[in-house]
Amino acid sequence: MINNNIKDMAKTIMFVEDSESVREAVKFTLEKAGYNVILGTDGSDALKYLENPDIDLVLTDLYMPNMDGIGLIKEIRKSKNHKHVPILFLTTETHKHKKIEAREAGATGWIVKPFVPEKLITTIRKVLR
Amino acid sequence: MNDHFQEKFIEEAKELVSGLEEALLLLEDNPDDTKHIEEVFRVMHTLKGSGAMFGMNEISEFTHNLESLYVFVKEQQIPVTKQLLDLTLDSVDHIKVLLSQKIDKGTLSNGLELSGKILQHIKNAGIEVLQDSESSDILPDKVREQDKIIDQQKSVATFYILFKPGKEILRDGTNPLYLLDELSTMGSTYIFRHSDNVPTFRKIDPALCYTFWEILMATGNVIDDIHDVFLFVEDVSTIEILKIADCNILDNSDFIRKAESLFVEGEAMSKAILKNISEELIVLPGKLQSKPVDKAVIPVSETGKKDNHKKENITIKQQPEAYENRGISSIRVSSDKIDNLMNNISELVIVQARLSLLADKMNQPDLSQISESVEKLSRQLRDNVFNISLVPVKNLVARYKRLVRDLSKELGKEIDFFTEGTETALDKNIIESLTDPLLHIFRNSIDHGIEDIETREKIGKPEKGKITLKAYYSGSEVHIAVEDDGGGIDINKIKEKAVNKGIIKAGASPGEKEILNLIFLPGFSTASKVTGVSGRGVGMDVVMRKIKDIRGNVEIDTEVGKGTTITIKLPLTLSIIDGLLVSVADSLYVLPISVVDKIFPVKHKELQDSFNNIIVLDGGQILFIYLRSEFVIGGEAPVYEQVVVVRHGEQKVGLVVDAVIREYQAVLKPVGSHYKDQDFFSGATILGDGSIALILDTNRIVSKFTNDNQ
Amino acid sequence: MDEKQKANQNSYLTFRLGKELFAADVRYVLHILPVPEITEVPNSTDYMKGVINHGGKVLPVVDTRVKFNMPQVEKTKNTCIIVVEINSNNDTINVGAVVDSVHDVLEISDEQIQPQPGIGSKYQSEFIDGMIKEKDEFIILLNMNKVFSAEEVDTIVKTPETGNQKPETKNQES
Repeated sequence: MINNNIKDMAKTIMFVEDSESVREAVKFTLEKAGYNVILGTDGSDALKYLENPDIDLVLTDLYMPNMDGIGLIKEIRKSKNHKHVPILFLTTETHKHKKIEAREAGATGWIVKPFVPEKLITTIRKVLR
Repeated sequence: MNDHFQEKFIEEAKELVSGLEEALLLLEDNPDDTKHIEEVFRVMHTLKGSGAMFGMNEISEFTHNLESLYVFVKEQQIPVTKQLLDLTLDSVDHIKVLLSQKIDKGTLSNGLELSGKILQHIKNAGIEVLQDSESSDILPDKVREQDKIIDQQKSVATFYILFKPGKEILRDGTNPLYLLDELSTMGSTYIFRHSDNVPTFRKIDPALCYTFWEILMATGNVIDDIHDVFLFVEDVSTIEILKIADCNILDNSDFIRKAESLFVEGEAMSKAILKNISEELIVLPGKLQSKPVDKAVIPVSETGKKDNHKKENITIKQQPEAYENRGISSIRVSSDKIDNLMNNISELVIVQARLSLLADKMNQPDLSQISESVEKLSRQLRDNVFNISLVPVKNLVARYKRLVRDLSKELGKEIDFFTEGTETALDKNIIESLTDPLLHIFRNSIDHGIEDIETREKIGKPEKGKITLKAYYSGSEVHIAVEDDGGGIDINKIKEKAVNKGIIKAGASPGEKEILNLIFLPGFSTASKVTGVSGRGVGMDVVMRKIKDIRGNVEIDTEVGKGTTITIKLPLTLSIIDGLLVSVADSLYVLPISVVDKIFPVKHKELQDSFNNIIVLDGGQILFIYLRSEFVIGGEAPVYEQVVVVRHGEQKVGLVVDAVIREYQAVLKPVGSHYKDQDFFSGATILGDGSIALILDTNRIVSKFTNDNQ
Repeated sequence: MDEKQKANQNSYLTFRLGKELFAADVRYVLHILPVPEITEVPNSTDYMKGVINHGGKVLPVVDTRVKFNMPQVEKTKNTCIIVVEINSNNDTINVGAVVDSVHDVLEISDEQIQPQPGIGSKYQSEFIDGMIKEKDEFIILLNMNKVFSAEEVDTIVKTPETGNQKPETKNQES
């Protein structure tokens, strides 16, 4: 009864990204894999979802208007509900300093953009299992 | 990714590009305005990152260089000049063409030319363009992939990796296993796990990481790539990486065997010895055709000094346990297999009971010893399998979240759903049995509990209702509560209805709890309006029955106007318990040892002469329950009886039995639904001689006794 | 015609309680056992005799005599337990029934089953599927799901005082 799918189904991922098409495509990909998805359009938009206690993973872009990914990561780590939630960020920056900056803010790991859906799902599964 | 998304992307990208143009023009007027530079950078970043996702690699590849250029602009290493802006605007035009998807030869060569110009612009600023493996996106994907493969074939090496995560590593949501997984995607790995530092269960802080790993890995990647895996954790962890062979030595079974013999739980292996072994094996002709190892590879930290003295330890401790720690650190097993294992263990425990009985009879020291060992082993086995079959309550949450969302929408209500303690683990069979009863409870809360928006407004409650699912341990029980801030249950209404239905007499004045419990009677529903969701009077009786089937109980707490909490109380363990075998006359009973506090022998006469079932034990007054009369068992009591003091919430209560026989590991079997209304037993167990002993539910015995004697 | 008759024909296990002969559709019957040691369950309904170890499982046993309002008798060598599988509350459950003796297995076609006479019958009609006349003796065909249900049931035997009224269930006291 408790198979892979059901376990995945129980998980909710918050995805924060300013590009609508990426948002929708990633939402599509994640939902197809059985996750619940909460979408945020940028860092400050995402903040309002932090009240929701059921976020199992945060996936965020780094460059966004209003509040960027680093700012969001810091806010999440300060929040009541999600101090320890895994946070993955999407980055095209392969330069170490950006990753380190995100790490210092409290991120768990990163996914290099561009990515294919399978890679996204396998990475998320690894973090969530 | 499908076409629909690509269309959407192109649409969005066109908007972005026009925004980009605007920003560039504004930038031309105010070259120092960082806001516009940010904006330009962000658009390029999005185009680059998203393009490839939607199958538009040309855009990704082209904007990559442009993005790099603007990294330097952003960092003020390249000034905003007319030349830069012209180049950028040309590039924007090119991107527009790419977006129109009317790409021909001319477009491509135009793109290459522009890319060249962009790179040149960066170089002109005196900046070295890094062409590291990851950022060399100018090459088409396929070519790079192929290169990688060839690369790997060319220079596979074997590395030793020590990964000692900082204790706090889990706090940021980092899962060390994820890093190990990442490693294993880079090549073949051989993982040694050290878990000796994990404290005993009571002391364990689940937020801390107590385990560390040693990994042998054969990979085509270089040492820096391995370091990159640990990039995020290196400041809080100890990472040591050492190349031990210039080939894949993990294929060599001699090496693996020797490496295993080096493994000592809790201590890192000596890298020097490891390397030595690999060198020895490699120079042996015919075994592996490879050069000897380059000795000058980075030892990341200095532990070399200790190596010599460690050697002694290692040769002595050639433990077979090392084999248990090899390879994969977790596997997925179907729940059927665990069920089977559980059944096997139940049978084993029963057979073991027969064995101990036989051993007692034979009175042979050898046999007794074996019997005791078997008992110990079966106990350990049982505990281990129990652990495996525990599942967090969290697994239930998603479906109720969905239910709350959909149903509240349907009913035109607004409800927030919260959870607490969902990491609380229960046997997976119990979790499965909970789904339907909880569904009923949730439906009731949403439908009848939470008022509609107007009503809530009228009585000054927040517009949004609130339902909370809570799970927590309470003594030897797990409680799962569904709490709503709705209208509560009107006790008078229930009473009225019960009188109408002839369930209680008009003049009777039953207690509040008693009235509430009427809800659990078949066919009893309080909803004044029958809806399609609930309110047909099925439900709570079914809930109660299902929960009783898994030896649980359901309680209702409610306050009119404030809300209702329905709590499901479940026994912590299922199927096998550590018990105490006791007797009353000829009957044997089992008490769960977890509730037993102390046992006192007391003279029968003393109990007989006591007033109000109270005796003084250990300097305190204790209420006792005389099981012989409670169970209506006749016969004469022995001169000395045993008072087994059990915990009942905060209270301690004595249960009087004839004799305490011994500890007994009891496989719990249901007594069947014909006995669902009895209050004394949680099940039965089969003893070594095939007879049956009932398992006492001390909580309910005590509750019933105190209720009856109030 | 022949085939049709066969399709209508079922096997029934007949057993005795006192002087009465009862029949149970064999599809409900799993085993017939000699009476083993029965562990009493204190504080349970009077017609529940206790539990037995049946192949490693704990099987509840109904004292059928009590159910049918007959006086208790000493166990004889013919006394046995019929293990039946019934449907109660959408669950399939097993239960043992103590009977005085097992009599026979009969092949009976549906045509042979007569309705229970409404007046003059001792038992509430919902527990009886019909009557079978065999060699000048009436056999009472039981509705197994009803008679051995795990739910508190109406009394099987009609009594002038109770009539159709439901008995008080002890649930309400707690």
